[in-house]
Amino acid sequence: MNKWILMISLIIFQACGQAGAPNDKKAEAVAEEEAVKSEASQVEEIPEEVEAEPEATPSEANPLLGYYVGTFYGVDIDFDKNPAVSNKITISIDSIGQDELFGHSVVAGNNRPFSGPISKEGDNIKVEAREPGDNRYDGVFTFTLSPATNNVTGTWQANNKKLAVSKREYNLDKRVFSYDPSLALPEDVSWSQLYEKHPKFEDREESLTEDVLSFNASNEELKKEDIENMYKGDLEVMRNAIYARHGYSFKNRKMRFIFDSSVDWYMPVSTDIRDDLTDLERKNIDLLKRYEEHAGRYYDVFGR
Amino acid sequence: MILKAKTVLSYGLLAIYAYFCYLMLLITLQYIPFDTDVAFLRIKQDYISRDYYRWAFFIHAYTAIFALVAGFTQFSPLIRNQLPRIHRISGWLYLIVVLLLAGPSGIIIGIHANGGWSSQLGFCLLGILWIYFSWIALQKIKQRNISAHRDFMYRSFALALSAISLRAWKYVIVALWQPRPMDTYRIVAWLGWVGNLILAEIIISYIKKRQS
Repeated sequence: MNKWILMISLIIFQACGQAGAPNDKKAEAVAEEEAVKSEASQVEEIPEEVEAEPEATPSEANPLLGYYVGTFYGVDIDFDKNPAVSNKITISIDSIGQDELFGHSVVAGNNRPFSGPISKEGDNIKVEAREPGDNRYDGVFTFTLSPATNNVTGTWQANNKKLAVSKREYNLDKRVFSYDPSLALPEDVSWSQLYEKHPKFEDREESLTEDVLSFNASNEELKKEDIENMYKGDLEVMRNAIYARHGYSFKNRKMRFIFDSSVDWYMPVSTDIRDDLTDLERKNIDLLKRYEEHAGRYYDVFGR
Repeated sequence: MILKAKTVLSYGLLAIYAYFCYLMLLITLQYIPFDTDVAFLRIKQDYISRDYYRWAFFIHAYTAIFALVAGFTQFSPLIRNQLPRIHRISGWLYLIVVLLLAGPSGIIIGIHANGGWSSQLGFCLLGILWIYFSWIALQKIKQRNISAHRDFMYRSFALALSAISLRAWKYVIVALWQPRPMDTYRIVAWLGWVGNLILAEIIISYIKKRQS
């Protein structure tokens, strides 16, 4: 019996920490799958957009048409409901008729059309545009379109006043979107933290390192030696930078907060970019995901 | 009274051992049904397409856990003295697994281990010593040299337990210092079994001292 105790002490000495059971593979692997899943913290699933992407190029007929990009600031905020206080938004003005305007907005992984009557005030156009109303995050955009400054300014009021953020404001500048695989992440991303909740709440923070800047997965082929020793957060941002270059609007808050706040060139214009990915990007995404899994799942748990 | 406390302690340790064996079983079950792009193999795609690696990997994954079964029987004096048949059957199971299945396949996997030459050397040495100690232990019992048999089986089983201690160390090291994923792996490739072997030697010398 004595020897038994000694022999088994081996295990105890070596395993003084408690060990977690290996997780289910699917759960983790699917978590970031194609970066198109809904964010877990949202109360309800946002239905997948099925409408066709409206034309991105501004028509020659009306120079006001096109993308307007900037921050969608929360004004009426319920901090108990885990709000996303500010997001980057793209408002697309798709057509302007005699007395009506059509457009859509892309923000936080949500692509919603809107339309409404217009009134002119000098050169400026004032609009009160409604979203269809069949999504719980729908509301009313009220804004002024100013040709002199190429700018859209206004507010958005949610139909549902009980949302975490029921009123927002914005001041957006016109910008053309074009996919450029050479766009690099700015340096301050490497000092950033990844978080899912508004920083006001305590949250498990993940910090990024300068590794995140070392490769551009849109224009160079990654080898396993390049990334096998990197932390999960760096790999995740490197992969999601591919999606960001294509103008993907992130539902995943961790990624959204990083790209919205730190990456100037980033503009959300689409909620599904899967068909736009190049072969090189697909290859790198596959490799990055494998090592994200490795660095995440096999890192701080008992398992392999 | 002292005897009772000892009994409680040893059954407690046995329960903890059973728990870790259960965790190892869960790790094994990841590979059932047969799938070459799952779990650890997700980052082994360069090698898993090779026949010899695939054979070695799955032999190791499916059989190595049986070596841990010996831990439930071979160290119990009751089984050794009252039920030597069980001791012998379990011993042969352990030896077949180590010498013919999990040991050699472990060396082949070790040759292609993640993390470069240092972890490859660590895992290969582990495999070679595991087979060596087990083989010598077999020779010793054939010569009826029970104390030498015991010593080498302690060493052998200490290395078998590295399956558990390697993963436990990884957990502890990451919780304390958050080293990079592959650096962590390079550390535990050595720490996982060298620590066990040192402890086994301490136990062996302790027993010898007490007997003499």
